[in-house]
Amino acid sequence: MSGSAPRTVSVSRVDGRLKVTGAARYAADQPVDRVAHGYLLLSTVARGTVRAMDVAAAERAPGVLAVFTPFRPVELHGTGNPFSVGHRWLPLQDTEVRYYGQVIGLVVAETFEQARDAAALVRAEYDAHPPAASLPDGIPGATDPGPIMGEPARLEFLAPGVESIEAALAASEVTLSGRYTQPIKHHCAMEPHAATAEWQDDGLTLYTGTQSATLTVGAVAAALGVAPTQVRVVSPHVGGGFGNKIATWAHPLLAAAAARVLGRPVKVVLTREQTFTVTGHRSGLAQTVTLGARRDGTLVAVRHEAYATQSASGGTFEAAAHTTSRYLYRAENIHLDQRIVTLDIPPPTWMRAPGQESGSFALETALDELAVELGIDPVTLRLRNDATVYPGRNVPWSSKHLAECYEVGARRFGWDRRDPVPRSTIDGDWLVGTGVATANYPGERFPASVRIRFRADGTVGVDSATADLGTGMWTVLAVLGAESLGLPVDRIRPDLGDSTLAPNIGAFGSGATASTGPAVAAAARAAIAELVRVAVTHEDSPLYGVPAEEIDYDHGRLVAPGVRIGFPALLGAVGLDTVEATGSAGPGPDHGRYAFTSFGAHFCEVRVNRWTGEPRVSRITTVIDAGAIINATTARSQIVGGVIFGIGQALLEGSRLEPATGRIANANLADYLLPVNADVPPIDVHFLDHPDTLFNPLGARGIGEIGTVGVAAAIGNAVYHATGRRVRDLPITLDKLLD
Amino acid sequence: MRPFAYAAARSLPQALEQVGADSAYLAGGTTLVDLMKLEVLTPRRVVDINGLPLRGVWVDRDGLHLGALERMSDVAAHQLVADGYPLLSQALCQSASAQLRNMASIGGNLLQRVRCGYYRDTASPCNRREPGTGCPAVHGENRGHAILGTSDSCVATHPSDLAVALVALDASVRLVRRGGATRAVRLADFYRLPGDTPHLEHDLRPGELITRVTVPPLAWARRSTYLKIRDRRSYEFALASAAVALDLAGGRIRDVRVAVGGVGTRPWRLPAVEAALRGRPLRVEVAEAAAERAVDGARPLSQNGFKTTLVRRVIVRALMRVAG
Ligand SMILES: Cc1cc2nc3c(=O)[nH]c(=O)nc-3n(C[C@H](O)[C@H](O)[C@H](O)COP(=O)(O)OP(=O)(O)OC[C@H]3O[C@@H](n4cnc5c(N)ncnc54)[C@H](O)[C@@H]3O)c2cc1C
Repeated sequence: MSGSAPRTVSVSRVDGRLKVTGAARYAADQPVDRVAHGYLLLSTVARGTVRAMDVAAAERAPGVLAVFTPFRPVELHGTGNPFSVGHRWLPLQDTEVRYYGQVIGLVVAETFEQARDAAALVRAEYDAHPPAASLPDGIPGATDPGPIMGEPARLEFLAPGVESIEAALAASEVTLSGRYTQPIKHHCAMEPHAATAEWQDDGLTLYTGTQSATLTVGAVAAALGVAPTQVRVVSPHVGGGFGNKIATWAHPLLAAAAARVLGRPVKVVLTREQTFTVTGHRSGLAQTVTLGARRDGTLVAVRHEAYATQSASGGTFEAAAHTTSRYLYRAENIHLDQRIVTLDIPPPTWMRAPGQESGSFALETALDELAVELGIDPVTLRLRNDATVYPGRNVPWSSKHLAECYEVGARRFGWDRRDPVPRSTIDGDWLVGTGVATANYPGERFPASVRIRFRADGTVGVDSATADLGTGMWTVLAVLGAESLGLPVDRIRPDLGDSTLAPNIGAFGSGATASTGPAVAAAARAAIAELVRVAVTHEDSPLYGVPAEEIDYDHGRLVAPGVRIGFPALLGAVGLDTVEATGSAGPGPDHGRYAFTSFGAHFCEVRVNRWTGEPRVSRITTVIDAGAIINATTARSQIVGGVIFGIGQALLEGSRLEPATGRIANANLADYLLPVNADVPPIDVHFLDHPDTLFNPLGARGIGEIGTVGVAAAIGNAVYHATGRRVRDLPITLDKLLD
Repeated sequence: MRPFAYAAARSLPQALEQVGADSAYLAGGTTLVDLMKLEVLTPRRVVDINGLPLRGVWVDRDGLHLGALERMSDVAAHQLVADGYPLLSQALCQSASAQLRNMASIGGNLLQRVRCGYYRDTASPCNRREPGTGCPAVHGENRGHAILGTSDSCVATHPSDLAVALVALDASVRLVRRGGATRAVRLADFYRLPGDTPHLEHDLRPGELITRVTVPPLAWARRSTYLKIRDRRSYEFALASAAVALDLAGGRIRDVRVAVGGVGTRPWRLPAVEAALRGRPLRVEVAEAAAERAVDGARPLSQNGFKTTLVRRVIVRALMRVAG
């Protein structure tokens, strides 16, 4: 299949049956002999030091094996690993409290319930100081975070002769500025974080849900002071990651360290409440977008300033401007300014479409405001400013079809029937409005390896140390393995989620399929070559001595003049159980000559009750240009999931950080509102089919995140159209719409 | 969770006998077990009453009776309830989730605890959980809190949807205590305002058991509704809700019941709104004018001022909906 993109198939998840029957083992489900259970103790102040901890009652409680605290720590080493806990600290190594809900202890007992109940008996005393926990209050002290993806945090492109962005804005026929805010948000993956650690001799096996077994090995080995070869991470199924299972949080480190001290396996499962502070979240943001344009809608200047919350303990903040206004539209003058506001809060981390999610809300709302101001249709306005070269780098896109996304979407949605006047459509008690927004996400590709193993029983193993977060990777391996070997999908035995498999950095950046897919093809070529080599060199082979170049591979058989033998028969004849080879692929030498980005367009209809103000999304059409689509079934699920994620961002989600205490007041799934099924309208997903073979031989750029980008703006723009009211503060709740 | 003793009662007298200081009855457990896990409630003894014969939904000349152990889902689906008292069915169907409604009982529903985040978090002060420690909600997270019936000690909203509909219907609870003595208390009198003693939530005496709920006959309750407004479409407590029943004759309001939820420290009947409607033609302006009286004495907090508008709108919308 070299060079040509594979055809799209529609295959149900190969792991679906395991999941619906409960047979799929997640991190907390792995059966391990003699396992002890750990329960984390968390701080109840946001800043200060732990003065003392009374653990006497807990230590005496039934079943308790140990109570670890900063005063009786487990041994952990080093700091500064950006893929571990808070970058700048490790749990229990000092008495400092950096945020409310920080780990300050671990109780280990025979059962989970004993550990939990003993944990409730521990009393901690603090020397506490008032925390900094308010984004608005911190803005005057905001700082430069340093380079963002290799570019300065304050980045400017000006047309020749233009002195400053202010001058460009001042010279524009129309200028418009809006301030857009959104709260901190949490991933809330269905599977809570968990880790089970088991030592055998000097080797550690760690069962923990991770998007990257490889990065987890690195972080864990460093913290435990052992070689990476001594650590094996097993994570066959991940019950949702959304970016929060990339970094290694406190629980696997403490489970592994406690297991080493206690001489028996230790399992630590976070409660839902604990996931809110022991793991990551998305920064809260305040952004200002200022647009300068000509009356005909041509953008002249874009200024995008973003303030994102960061934790004093480290973490990965949300870079909103560099991921959106940086390149989304053609403007002669672009000015980006990303700042961070450092607070005494848990560490932020990557969360689905980090940067694009928030940045697109600001930019795509501002564009809608400009369209209203100029009396131009919002679709027309976007197409008028469609960028054809990547601003500042002057390279073309490998494949870009944003205009077609809008054209197809408009047709499917019925956009031409829209009356642009706000509040012009009323259906009974409901004000009806429609809105659009652009979606974007870069095509990311990492080096990856895949091992293919022909087996005497007629099956073929296809493995790689990547991850399946519900994303469909099991199925992608099976489908691409089948495709590249010319075999039916049911002959393929995919395997993933284990650091001992063929090297693979994992699943993030929407790059898992784009990275791993080409490696499947490379591995297939290598494995076929190895099969041929065995066939011609082994005395018992019917192809012994035949020149290799005379042998063809055809749907699992080796064919030469007069001979045709399937690989199971060949393996049987030569007495081998398996023949295998590993293939690798990575970004090609041409990569710098193009920009790789997926685009999309969302069309959305909302209804707002004219009495009580509640906004409800009634339908969405999303058209995505992501290159080739490997498996239409799981691809559609990814986009639908992304859109629902965006509905949460737009209407419901927000972690309520108390400025006075630094506590997250709604750290549970009753009070942190995620969309429920009743909030999900019909979602019409359509993929353009333009394989991007400049990006990779598959032509596929990845679809894990783009679906969520722009949804909040499309919904907010529709709310404006329905009601005439512009809400620039997320989530758009009914209290902001009551007049 | 603290260790506790468990006993399943086989008869009513046995249940009343088994319960003592520091004990709790267990019905569906959806409130009790939840709060025990959080260590907000720490009974030493749990008496399971699910085996008691406190079931049944029936009508006689005293009205509609609901056994205390009937499950929310069964009551909601019962023909007598759905036909005669749509507002009860609707209040139940919009409560919690299908799974919870299959477990949760009518008696337990009326005794569920407030959803205030400070009450549920033992690391926070709370006058209701630990009298005298203070109320962080007054100046803290209070978007979902009450605007009616609050005090400086507590501003938590009464959470039950069913109770709002029952208060509109003038329902009462039947209580039994050790020795077998029974009494009936109007639900409207059963719940207390928080005042300085928010930890005293209702009039149940120690060990007393709810055996059933009785709704007096009200033929025109057939024309009724329960409208619940919340951020998401399902599985959330009310920001504001209204239970409304209408007796309409030739476009005029002969009689009416209005109670609201999500805004009061107890289910909030609105006699002043009812009085302003009685005898008037049912028109939007009439409903709006009457609904003004809903917020008499309201004390909005830092984040829930919108409820003063919302609750009036909910009443108007509910009235117009039942008017058809
Ligand atoms: C996630 C979630 C969402 C919810 N959403 C809603 C909602 O939207 N609207 C709503 O109205 N409710 C909601 N609820 C609350 C739910 O309706 C109550 O938890 C349920 O009705 C309680 O009934 P139960 O039988 O489970 O009570 P239990 O938990 O068994 O008991 C509750 C209390 O009542 C006492 N008790 C029970 N029965 C009797 C009796 N016969 N006599 C004396 N004392 C008794 C118990 O000792 C205990 O103190 C929600 C609950 C949860 C967990």
